[in-house]
Amino acid sequence: MIWLTWRQLRIQAVTAAAALAAFAILLAVTGPHLASLFTTSGITGCHGGACGTAAGRFLGRLAATSPYSLIYELGIGLILAAPALIGIFCGAPLIAREFETRTFSLAWTQSVTRSRWLLAKLALTGLAALAVTEALSLLYDWWAEPIARAIGYGGNQVWQLPAVFSQQRLSFVIFATHGITPLGYAAFGFALGTATGAVIRHAVPAIAVTLAIFAAVQVATPLLIRPHLIPPDHMVVSGPSFFVNAGLSVGTLEASIVPGQPGAWILSSEAINAAGQPVGMIPTSCLQPAVGKGASPDAGACMARRGIRESITYQPASRYWPFQWIETAIFLALALALAGFCFWLLGHRPRYSGEAGPALPRLGDVGLHRPAGRR
Amino acid sequence: MSAVIETSRLGKRYRRTWALADCTLSIPAGHVVGLVGPNGAGKTTLLNLAVGLLAPTAGEIEVLGGRPAASQVQLARVGFLAQDSPVYPGLSVADHLKLGARLNPSWDAELARGRVDRLDLRPTQKAGTLSGGQRAQLALTLAVAKRPELLILDEPVASLDPLARREFLQDLMEAVAEQELSVVLSSHLVADLERVCDYLIVLVGSQVRVAGPVEELLATHYLLTGPCRDPGTLPAGQQVISASHTDVQTTVLVRTDGEILDPAWTVAEIGLEDLVLAYLSQATRRRRRDNHQHLEVQR
Repeated sequence: MIWLTWRQLRIQAVTAAAALAAFAILLAVTGPHLASLFTTSGITGCHGGACGTAAGRFLGRLAATSPYSLIYELGIGLILAAPALIGIFCGAPLIAREFETRTFSLAWTQSVTRSRWLLAKLALTGLAALAVTEALSLLYDWWAEPIARAIGYGGNQVWQLPAVFSQQRLSFVIFATHGITPLGYAAFGFALGTATGAVIRHAVPAIAVTLAIFAAVQVATPLLIRPHLIPPDHMVVSGPSFFVNAGLSVGTLEASIVPGQPGAWILSSEAINAAGQPVGMIPTSCLQPAVGKGASPDAGACMARRGIRESITYQPASRYWPFQWIETAIFLALALALAGFCFWLLGHRPRYSGEAGPALPRLGDVGLHRPAGRR
Repeated sequence: MSAVIETSRLGKRYRRTWALADCTLSIPAGHVVGLVGPNGAGKTTLLNLAVGLLAPTAGEIEVLGGRPAASQVQLARVGFLAQDSPVYPGLSVADHLKLGARLNPSWDAELARGRVDRLDLRPTQKAGTLSGGQRAQLALTLAVAKRPELLILDEPVASLDPLARREFLQDLMEAVAEQELSVVLSSHLVADLERVCDYLIVLVGSQVRVAGPVEELLATHYLLTGPCRDPGTLPAGQQVISASHTDVQTTVLVRTDGEILDPAWTVAEIGLEDLVLAYLSQATRRRRRDNHQHLEVQR
């Protein structure tokens, strides 16, 4: 079975290995220079506010002059896409192709039981898929470490940076492309593709369905599921300093950082007045005298005087690893459940789907037997 | 005589259609058994149930005394060649032999290599580029070289041209002679079966119409031609399979263990094909009559 699995997976395996190798070379060539940029940026050994400034300068340089932001984005894209690719190229055809070419009748009548056949296929292909994804993720983590550290120092708050560089590691895409979550997603993508293929029995439609479901899960997870994996923390900040210094966006009154919680993931934030009602905009009376110029120190003080506070719902950065473990465990469990479903579908369907029912029609009568008197 | 396949009220339903219903039969060991019937008789379903590719919806099936595909041992005892002999298009001939060797503990590598050599299959050739006949031969090689006790073939020659068909069947017979296999072979073409089978089962609408050793069937069926008369007046030992009348004469196919003594009849022996056709048309006639009665009742 090992040989057959390998033989049937050869093309995908070689392609994946080649893509991985090409990406590794790209990272190996650019990595050392990136690291040296980091060391010369003055971040190492910095103190206090200087760190954020230095980190921001470093990120700004990357964004402006080099291919690094491009590679950074490419890496994120690859790690996000890898599970879907594994699902459609390794998972979906795994069983569907056997049905399509009718070779299941060859495969399942050799002296290997169907469960063993499936076990070998799922385990070997699945482990290979996980290994490729993990290799990709480790390489990328190594390469992007300076960027992650610069963001950790708050460098993303200082400069006008491309969108990716302003993302915290708990945020939308960054979270799912680092740490161990790529493993969970890869296992899930593979199992999803396999199960879809087993149900639909045609590779191409199975690929389409797999892609659709996987994309939906990938979008829905950070939006609907991840925020609630651990009950979020809540904080109400008052006083002028928050409105003035804390990077409050003008106009909408949303917070972009949580005081004392660097790197926190803000789920929602709004300004509320003394009565606890939401305040949508900076009160006009507080905009004087700098009309239309946004929030001035005066405006912050003015709002604080009026009892306007910022209410923030967030997940602290310290929950990064708990979140990683929980999400990975969820997707690994889903993958196992889907694999179990494949076993059930292929071999352990109930032998008798109905108890003694009405008299069985003879097959020869089916179709020939037309209702009498109706023409 | 032990049975290689034994079923009892076996049924398989796809959604609302029964592909096989209430099928009870017993296929004896040590024969090359031809399973013949019209399209839709349930032959393919029955054979797929026998190798465990399908699970029954109702009833029981035992193959060589065990449940189909229940274990590695059971799988090793039964060789199967599916309709249109599917092979992996991307794998070469040699790859297929390797597959057979890896997946079957009882694999006979010498036999497999010998067959491939004799059949002029180039080991490096991709199976997807083989002709229909070569593909069937390759698939048969896989099924035979695992050294099964029972070989099941589903319409093995249906898609082959007459020459390839003859070669395939000849080759099959050689393999059977060498290995002393029991074989069950389905077809809707009697001519193919006539060449290789020594036992025949006619299956119509999941029901066995007639079953027995070919020689015995041929020896007990007679075609009688004579002046017009009612087939109902024949002696008790003579079972009428079919009867046709013209203005002046009556032709009857009868089954009897005795001899035809009535001098009014001209007695002729019947070929296997005509015999099978008689049973098939008998089934159709009976169905029409049933429908007719059904109509009467409704009025």
